[in-house]
Amino acid sequence: MQVIPSLDLLGGRVVRLTHGDFATARTYGEPEAVLDALDVPRGARLHVVDLEASRSGRPIETDLVRRLALRDLVVQVGGGIRSVDDARRWIDCGAERIVVGTVASESPRLLSTLVETFGAKRIVPAVDVRDGVIRTNGWEHESAATIANVFAHIESLGIAEALVTDIARDGALRGPSFALYRQLRSMTRVKLIASGGVSTISDVVSLARLGNVSGCVIGKALLERRLDLRETIARLATPNAIPERVIPCLDVRDGRVVKGVSFTNIRDAGDPVECAMRYEEEGADELVMLDISATDRAQATTLETVRSVAESIFIPLTVGGGVRTVEDFRGLLRAGADRVAVNTAALRNPELIATCAREFGVQAVVLSCDAKRDGDHWLATVRGGKELTAVDAATWCQRAETLGAGEILLTSVDRDGTNQGFDLELLRAVTGILKIGVIASGGAGRVEDFRDAIESGGARAVLAASLFHDRVLSVADVKHYLMAEGIPVRS
Amino acid sequence: MNATVIDSPVANTANIARALRASGAELQITRDADEIARAPKLVLPGVGSFVAAMQWLRDTRIDDAIREAVARGAFLLGICVGHQLLFDTSDEMEATCGLGLLRGAVRRFEGALPVPQIGWNRVSARAPLFDGIFDGIAPETPFYFVNSYAARGAGDEIASADYNGPFTAAVQRERVFGVQFHPEKSSKAGLRVLRNFIACK
Repeated sequence: MQVIPSLDLLGGRVVRLTHGDFATARTYGEPEAVLDALDVPRGARLHVVDLEASRSGRPIETDLVRRLALRDLVVQVGGGIRSVDDARRWIDCGAERIVVGTVASESPRLLSTLVETFGAKRIVPAVDVRDGVIRTNGWEHESAATIANVFAHIESLGIAEALVTDIARDGALRGPSFALYRQLRSMTRVKLIASGGVSTISDVVSLARLGNVSGCVIGKALLERRLDLRETIARLATPNAIPERVIPCLDVRDGRVVKGVSFTNIRDAGDPVECAMRYEEEGADELVMLDISATDRAQATTLETVRSVAESIFIPLTVGGGVRTVEDFRGLLRAGADRVAVNTAALRNPELIATCAREFGVQAVVLSCDAKRDGDHWLATVRGGKELTAVDAATWCQRAETLGAGEILLTSVDRDGTNQGFDLELLRAVTGILKIGVIASGGAGRVEDFRDAIESGGARAVLAASLFHDRVLSVADVKHYLMAEGIPVRS
Repeated sequence: MNATVIDSPVANTANIARALRASGAELQITRDADEIARAPKLVLPGVGSFVAAMQWLRDTRIDDAIREAVARGAFLLGICVGHQLLFDTSDEMEATCGLGLLRGAVRRFEGALPVPQIGWNRVSARAPLFDGIFDGIAPETPFYFVNSYAARGAGDEIASADYNGPFTAAVQRERVFGVQFHPEKSSKAGLRVLRNFIACK
């Protein structure tokens, strides 16, 4: 899959609009300076939109495009192209490909003529969609043509690639519209260039996994330095088959597995060793055991439970709950835990993370963060979600990474036990700024939730407790589903 | 079906021992250099620091005992850092010498994916040697890894994996074996590898 930086031009400068509204234009400077700042590699494909042309219907930024085409870039240009003459103007300026939006859905005959004149390879139809309906003329008009009809025509002309933008996502950094691209996968063989909302490396990886997305246009996220172009290209070049993990969680109190809704209304649910063995048999990649009694009780029972669970399985075991000191940490590792999750104690004394990372290795340290929504951000909580702190959850996770945490176990206190799905916005807020992995926790209810946490949330592992324990779903069910959705898992 | 586990303090010996027993082995767990030198089948576990693990082997003269056992024709399986110790050197803290039983160097991962590697990764065993410790393991089977360092393209490589580029996941030179992954944490596939080693004659 190709990563295609996108520059929107207005008045000779690079700008960005939000939701296509000219009043929201933000200026980033001259195109050459922007390309240098983004470190766009030689020979890269570049997507350029002449915004004024898209409004007025005639090419405006022709000199700029000529300059860009001379820079050893494969330039595709869009914006208000309504005739063979418009297209020829751009091609004469050195554009390799012509992006046609309104024409693609409103003028099937002109689209055919453009393909006859310039060849199918040089024409990229652009389909802008909002709520399942195609929008044209700078997104201002609803098209009468259906997505299915438009793509049938595109395919019949031998065009291999079309640009598809979900308008609601564009410039909003909320992630691309995976559902739209998945829907198109069953509708057409035309490969898609995804556009709109791409803001994390994980978004790019997830798009590549869909199989029908051959390119992805990135604008705002690059301009605002949320994404580094070279790093994104490097990540895409790494193998995409490393399995994502499905992790059942045992919430344990006094040596018994229990499950509570939002950390309260706790009920008994069984023997930890039996559960652990069943989960390994079902294909669990790892187990998490959270001791919810440890906060107020003696450690002896806990250590005994950890020992017996660790002795009954041959997959990694992460243990958390009530870990206050380096000695607690060491005790759990000695009892057979492979990794230890710290929460409250680390919030009170962040140095605990650094000390444990030095003493036991980064791989042994998991930061458990119980986050609760507070307006447009999330706050870290302590004492099993009961007590709110003033610490921003995303910032705290980032700090923990710097201090030496090997992974983050991120639980949405709001979603925990509700089966309403993972909090994808919380996940994106954290995974978008971290390099280490995040385990999504809290809210799993359906198989699709696990997919979304990985695909859109950027999680590297998905965790659930009651869902698996109550046999609503088995670990195997989740893994089969993920595999069918193109997400690599260990079978 | 006997094996001797070298009881290094820089290792998760208890976990390895449990997995070996579950794979059908009768075990001696020891720090006695003489016992190690005479053992017909050795397992060298290791987690954490290459430097600390090698230092302990040297201090206890167990390094010589291992070399002596191998020279006498003993089977040896190194696991994780135990696998890394088989090589000439590691650049973990500048260049540190290993046991030198295999040619090659262990180097730190660099690239787009976070270091250490923590998690499952697919292992491709080389077809001609498939019948050794990878007998019965399907191609591209995932194993559990925890490592910041790895050998690259070792001459005795029998299996590789890819993390920020290809690296050596397993080696074999005659009766000396090494696996970079943790068989004791790799569920059924891991136990199968251990059982294959235990069955080696």
